[in-house]
Amino acid sequence: MAQEMIEGINPTRMELLKLKDREKLAVKGHSLLKEKRNALIMEFFNILERVKGSREGVEATLQEAYKDLSDAQMVMGDLAVTKSAMSVKESVNVEIESRSVMGVVVPLIESEIGQKNMVQRGYGFLETSVKLDEAASKFEESIKLIIELAEIEKTIMLLAIEIESTKRRVNALEHIIIPKLENTVKYIEMRLEEMERENFVRLKMIKKTMEME
Amino acid sequence: MKSNVAVMADEDTVIGFRLGGIKEGYPVKNMEEAGKVLEDLINKDFSVIITTEKIGIEFRETINKLTNERALPMVIEIPDKSGSIKRESDPMSELIKRVIGVEMVK
Repeated sequence: MAQEMIEGINPTRMELLKLKDREKLAVKGHSLLKEKRNALIMEFFNILERVKGSREGVEATLQEAYKDLSDAQMVMGDLAVTKSAMSVKESVNVEIESRSVMGVVVPLIESEIGQKNMVQRGYGFLETSVKLDEAASKFEESIKLIIELAEIEKTIMLLAIEIESTKRRVNALEHIIIPKLENTVKYIEMRLEEMERENFVRLKMIKKTMEME
Repeated sequence: MKSNVAVMADEDTVIGFRLGGIKEGYPVKNMEEAGKVLEDLINKDFSVIITTEKIGIEFRETINKLTNERALPMVIEIPDKSGSIKRESDPMSELIKRVIGVEMVK
């Protein structure tokens, strides 16, 4: 069986010791990375539970919101809706913290999006229709959902990237680097034994010739 | 860290989100404008950028590059008023399939 080995290694005791250390390190690293991968995948599944259906939720709420908006535009006219929209007070307050999952920094969003009543929104009552109020409250709801979805999707994305690279490292260690190291260690051991035997025979021969003289 | 949400979309969507309380609305009329505004927004300190799926498809590469490199800003795509675009494959489930190795029933 042709075995992969590390190239350019001298079969000496020094190298053997070094290689054995490297092998130990590789095995340790492998088990650590494996644990990391498993933990990441567990976290990933937890988040998948949360993403289920939340995109559909956003889409449904938005559809309703758009419908109410165009109703409002029909009743009040485009310009009036635009004007009212301009006078709505800024109310979305998003705070981004980060959380670390096995060394992956994922965002943690805290949003304060209060559902407001008509007075707090800041447009006048006289020229606005009730449809506008409905549209506004639907949009408030959608924004909340959208920001939640953004957090979840971003987290999934970041975790997925990390899982992929960890998986690749685990596999590389398991299938390439560790076997290579093992084979090289075996090769050096064999060579050293062979050299010892050679030496032994040589000594015997020398002894024999010396006795003969 | 306090941060802001920006909306970059067609005019009606922007008006809608203004009603919802996001003041940073950037209405764009065509894709060229959208590209410029997107670059601008990325360099400002927004943490969440909401955009429409149509714009998202047009600037997929820019957005992917950006979102893979940094944690912020997050770019999220929403359907506009004409409804969501039917895609052949959901990028999210595609990603999940690649990572886990098996298809997950969503």
